[in-house]
This record gives sequence, C-alpha cells and structure tokens, in this order.
Amino acid sequence: MVWKNLVRTLATAATATAAKPASLQDVVIIGGGPAGLTLLAALKSSRKTRHLNCTLIEGSSLQPVREFGVSPPEEYTNRVVSLTPKSVEFMQHRVGNWDHIKQDRIRFYDTIVAFDSQDKDARIEFDASQIGAGVLAAMCENINIQSSLLLKLEQLGLDDSTTILDETKVVDIVHPNPPDLDQHDLNAIDPNNGNPDLDWPIVKLSNGESIQARLLVGADGYNSPVRKFSGIESRGWQYNTFGVVATIKLQYEDFRSIGWQRFLSTGPLAILPLSEDNATIVWSTTPKLSELFLKVNSEIFPHLVNAGMTLDEVDLKYIYSMLEKDPNDFSVLDEIKWRMSKIDTKDLEENYPLPVVEVIENSRARFPLKLSHADTYIAPRVALIGDAAHTIHPLAGQGLNMGQSDVGALVEALEKGVERGLDIGSTMVLDSYVAAAWPGNHAILGICDKLHKIFSTDFAPMVFLRGFGMKSLNMVDTVKDLMIKAISGR
Amino acid sequence: MKNYTRGVSRSTLILLRRQLCSSRPVFHNPVAPKLTETSQDELTHFNALASTWWDVNGPQRILHKMNLIRMDFIFNTVRTHLKLNPPGTPAEDQVYIPPFGLDLLPGAIKSRIIEDQELRRDEILADAKLSVLDVGCGGGILSESLARLNFIESVKGIDLSADVIEAAKLHKSKDPIFNGGKLTYELTAIEDLPTDEKYQIVTMFEMLEHVNYPSKVLLEALKRVEVGGWLFVSTINRDFISWFTTIFMGEHVLGIVPVGTHTLEKYINQSEIRDWLEQDPERKDSFQVVDVKGSIYLPAYGWKFTSTPDIGNYFMAIQRKK
Repeated sequence: MVWKNLVRTLATAATATAAKPASLQDVVIIGGGPAGLTLLAALKSSRKTRHLNCTLIEGSSLQPVREFGVSPPEEYTNRVVSLTPKSVEFMQHRVGNWDHIKQDRIRFYDTIVAFDSQDKDARIEFDASQIGAGVLAAMCENINIQSSLLLKLEQLGLDDSTTILDETKVVDIVHPNPPDLDQHDLNAIDPNNGNPDLDWPIVKLSNGESIQARLLVGADGYNSPVRKFSGIESRGWQYNTFGVVATIKLQYEDFRSIGWQRFLSTGPLAILPLSEDNATIVWSTTPKLSELFLKVNSEIFPHLVNAGMTLDEVDLKYIYSMLEKDPNDFSVLDEIKWRMSKIDTKDLEENYPLPVVEVIENSRARFPLKLSHADTYIAPRVALIGDAAHTIHPLAGQGLNMGQSDVGALVEALEKGVERGLDIGSTMVLDSYVAAAWPGNHAILGICDKLHKIFSTDFAPMVFLRGFGMKSLNMVDTVKDLMIKAISGR
Repeated sequence: MKNYTRGVSRSTLILLRRQLCSSRPVFHNPVAPKLTETSQDELTHFNALASTWWDVNGPQRILHKMNLIRMDFIFNTVRTHLKLNPPGTPAEDQVYIPPFGLDLLPGAIKSRIIEDQELRRDEILADAKLSVLDVGCGGGILSESLARLNFIESVKGIDLSADVIEAAKLHKSKDPIFNGGKLTYELTAIEDLPTDEKYQIVTMFEMLEHVNYPSKVLLEALKRVEVGGWLFVSTINRDFISWFTTIFMGEHVLGIVPVGTHTLEKYINQSEIRDWLEQDPERKDSFQVVDVKGSIYLPAYGWKFTSTPDIGNYFMAIQRKK
C-alpha cells in the first residue's frame, strides 16, 4: 500500500504528459441494471456492432449477480418483473441470454384477472389463448435477468473490447475543454480532461480514471446523471403512492396460471404466482399505509394481503385503523376471518387467488411510484434507455419491457449506423432510435396513467362508469383481443 | 402560369425561363480548353460553405441525410454482387444458392439460407481490402463514412475547393478512428492523378452537375476503376421536376440548400450516361450499368429511393467487366 501511494505521488510529480490520459471508448454505458447489461450483451451479440469498444460502469457490486448465476438462493428475491412475450423473444433471438435464465425460477401466465374493489362483478379477464397465443407474460426476478446477461457475455468471451467496471461510481461527466493557454504551469493541466480535439464527453470515475466516450448511454435510472449532463428535460409527476413489494408463500401451488390484480381506491394490489407455492405481491398504496404494511407483524401481513384481495373497502379501513394503533395486534386475525367467512366458499375458490400463508422474512420493501418521460432520448453523443428515459406505474407490468424495447431500437439504429459508416455518436444515427422508441412508450405511459387515475377513486358515478366499462369490455372480444395483444407486446 | 407563381419573386421567374430555354449542348462537350475544371463562381460558393459543412443541423443537413442512402446504395450494391462461391471453392465450403425464388421455401429454411449467405458475405468482405477514390469529396461526409467500413482499406478524397479540403482535413482529426492514415485528402483534379493508380471503388456523388465537362470527368473516372470494381455516380436528371425540387423549392422557396448550389443546364439525364457508355465499342465492352435508382427528398423523413430513375435525382452503379 505504501509502495502504491509512493508510486502515485511520483506519478503526480512527473510531467502532465506522463500521467495516464483519458481512455477512449466507443460506447460507455452507465448503469448495470437490466437495461444497461442488455445493451452491452446485445451490442456484443450482434455481428455488426461486436467490434465496438464498450465499457459498462456500475456503482454497486455485481458480485451477488455473479453468485446468483453459480448458485441461486433458495428463496425468491423481492424484485420481480413481468416480461412480455415480445421481451422474451428479444432475449431469445437478439440478445441470446434467454438460455442462461434459470428457467425453474420463472413462471408463465396465460391469464390476467383484474377486478374492482367497489363492484365485485366488475372484472375483466385477459386470456392469451383467446388470441391463439399461449403466453401473456412471464414473471422473472430482476437478478435472474442480470445474471443471464453476465453469463451470456461470459459465453461470448470477454476480450479487450468489453469492460465491466462495478463498484465504480461516476464522479462527474464533463464536456472536453480546450486547455487554458494562459495557464503557464503545465503541471496544472489535468490530463484527465481528455483530448480537447474530440467533442466526446468525459466520464470521471471514482477509481481516479476517466473515459472519453464516442457515445455515452444513460441506463442510470430515474435520477439519471447522464440525462442531467445532456440537458434533456424530463417531465412527469409523483403519484403520492408507494409500491410495496414482498415475496410470499401461497397455501399450495396454484396450477391456474393466473395473475391477479384488484383495484382498491388506494391503488391496485397484485398477486403474481411464481413457481411452486411462491408468489410475489405488488401493493400500490398511500405513503402512510405503505409505511404501515412494512411495520405490520409478519404473522399478520399474509392475512392482511388476503383481506386486501377480498374484503370491502369499509372493512379494510377498519382493519388498517386497528393496525395503525398496534401493528402487532393479533385480534385483527379474527376480524379478518369473520369477515371473509361471509363470502361464499365457491366464489372465493373460483374468483380469487389462493390464500397467502407466509411472507418471506425481510422481503418487504417499498418504493415511490411516479410517471416521467424525457422530452427526447438523445443529444449529440448521448442516448438514454430504460428508467433514465421513462418511469411508469407498475400496474400493467410494462416498465422493464419498455427498457428492453429501447435497447432493441437503439441497437438497430447503431447497427444501421455502423453499416453506413457513420459516427455512432452522431444524431444522424441516434435520430432513428427516438423515432422508433418514443411514440410507443408515450402511449403506454399515458394509458397506465389513466388507468391509475380511473381506479383511484371511490366517487360513485365514476365507480359505476368504470364498472360498466369493464363489464362491457369483458364481453366485446374484438376489443379485448386488441388489449391482450397490447399487454403482451405483440 | 400566374396562379402557380403568386408570391414568387420576379428574378426566380427569369431564372426559370433562362434555364428551361437554354439550348446549350449539355453533355457532349466537343472541345474542352482545360479538362475537368469547375466553374469559378461555383468554387467560390463551395469555399463559403466549408465552415458549416459538418453541422448536421446546418445548411448541409440535406447532404448529410443523402449520405445515408448513398452509403446504403454502395453497401447494398457491393454486397449483393459478391461472388459467394468463387470458382475453385471446394463443394463442401459452398453456400447453397437455390436455383429458384427463396419465397417458395418455408420461412425457417428461407431464413436459414439467407443467414448462411449473409455470413459468407461477411466473411468475404472481412477479407476484402477495397480502395476508394472519392471524387468531389467536399467536406468529406462520404469519405469518412466509407473509411469507417471494415472492408475498405483506404479512401482518398479529392476536391478542387481548397477550403472544403481544409474543412475535411480538420474534421478528420476529430475522430481517432482515422489516426491510422486510412483516410487522405488531396486538393487535385482527377485528371492530375496518375492513370495507373486504380481503385476498386470510385465515387462521384452530386458532382457531375457541378463540372463544366462531365463526359471528360466520367472518362477520367472510368480509367481509374480496377477490373471488377465500381464507379458510383449520382446526379440529377435535367427535367422540370428536378428544376422544381432542387432549384425552385430547395434553394428559393424552402431554402434547404443554399442559393446557387445548382445550375439546371449542368444536370444530366441518366439515359444520356447510358447512351454515352454505349457510344464507344470499347467502353461498351468493358463497362456495364448494373443498377440505377431514382431518389426523392421527403421533408421530415429524408431521402428515399424511387423506382423512377428518369425523374429527379438518381444513383447509378457502373461495374468494370474487363
């Protein structure tokens, strides 16, 4: 260590030209989530873009992801996403990571049932077999996708043109500045400022190195530093709602391949079965209740979920108020039991999900829900993908899929750019990415936003209208077919 | 006439009349005092454009857009005319080329055959080291694009405007991919290059309509094409549509191209180039027009190929057979 420090001191003392200059890369991807890793794997899988020098930078450690690839834990992790058949196809044929997905940890659905808490007859069933397709969606853990991508990259053989830097933070992103000629002390000129002849952005890293990027891709989430650097405006709003996620156990394995979603006035509650008796829940709710749901005794929580799926809102409010006084109040179990006993057993078996019996320890978490959409996804030498470009309400399970389709469109634009011999950081190349990805994303964002708003009210005329709408929709097959196609990304 | 021209300046009308009535023999220029010189006022015009040449949102945006389909035209022509099974390929190494339409086959088999052929094309191109001469390279938009392709070994861009050559050299230094010396520029006329300097690809895009003696320039270009190599030409048919789109709308009404970029009398019909190639038996013997495509600029979309090469802008691929 002392030796290392000494060398560093010597290096700083040497002339500026002797210090290591910023390295040049064709593509620098910030963010090692599913979107960033998918882009890296897709670029390296394509014959046309394989030769590009790519670096991916991730702030946290990817070690858990690598370990998952070798020996996955028994219990499910709590970040589970829904994949549309279109995304699955993309992973199979374009990226090629599907073969590395732990198939025993994903669950396919052919039906989704959505119903209204205010009107128990207002329900809509989306059945994929209706349009002759077998699958509507697949539930998959985030980490399963990430791990499959790392395995795919490993299989492709990582050479010098592929670098993954994890546990490395982006300290700053700057435009290259021509050296200040009035500055007479040459030692003061920072070699990390890169080559001033190039208009490539410079990414300064926490390990002291810096990289100059022909194309900088922001896969760095909602608060995207890359987006801020590029000056692209993002618009949207907070829903004042939190999503509570948890991994749970059902009474037994549900052989019906159904995803359930109940629209409560506080937000939708979804139970999505995984393999065997596992399932995951996403419960969107008010900030206050979300805090409560994390606090509630883990013996009581499963019953609370059952109550949320079946009981009237009036009863739910009473139960919430009891738990607010004392999150460990076991007397609510009797209250729930008594109220559920009034529902017809046959109805309960046929029209509701299986009862939840257990919540996995430490799997409960909450995150704020918001809508945001960037005005554009590109600037000269910058592209945004995934949550950096848009965030969406999880009620239709489209978030990750939008990121996947972003990657598909971006890779296609880059392939075309390489084929045409263009500079892939140029807007002449990136323009077609925005043209292909933005309008579709905007439509999906708008629809999910409207759905959230329509269902987050108990205003009687609205309840009547949406109930009428759901019942009629459920009967009109042609419209329903179109919706099924939209949900499954076809 | 009156209805169509409301709001158009008188000078534009005079321009139209003068240009359409011009009966100067255009293409065949019997005596040339000096070979391929470009007129002086056009040179001045291009010199003035040099500083904004590379601004993709600037006055040359339409040229940057056109570069996309130029590259598509070159790439597709070169790629589709590769010999997939050159003579001497052992039978087991040959890719299957069905003697009938691929569409007759089931989808999966069809895509497999196409995939195999594409892979072979990639292999052949990976070994091909083509040399390019870009005549009238301007600021180097096409030269840079060609020099980035992996199957091209060297690109030489030449132009008669000193300022644009400077702009091209300056811009070249802004991408380290060209540090290897793959791309060079020279301020020279094509006839001043040694005739024994042959290239697999010679390009003359949007250039013939700017020179005084196009046939001479074409001849000089053909001389420098290697056997099996290509001459890619694009220019504009001399017709009303061309005048309307490139000069009237493009320069005077919409202002997408700087005024003075084009002169109608210098436009050349694609049939005239074909006829000229066939005039001389030796030329007819060695060169073949392999492909001609029309092209049209659609605002808010960009350039698009059309199936009518006799109208407006067109691209032509001429291959040297022997």
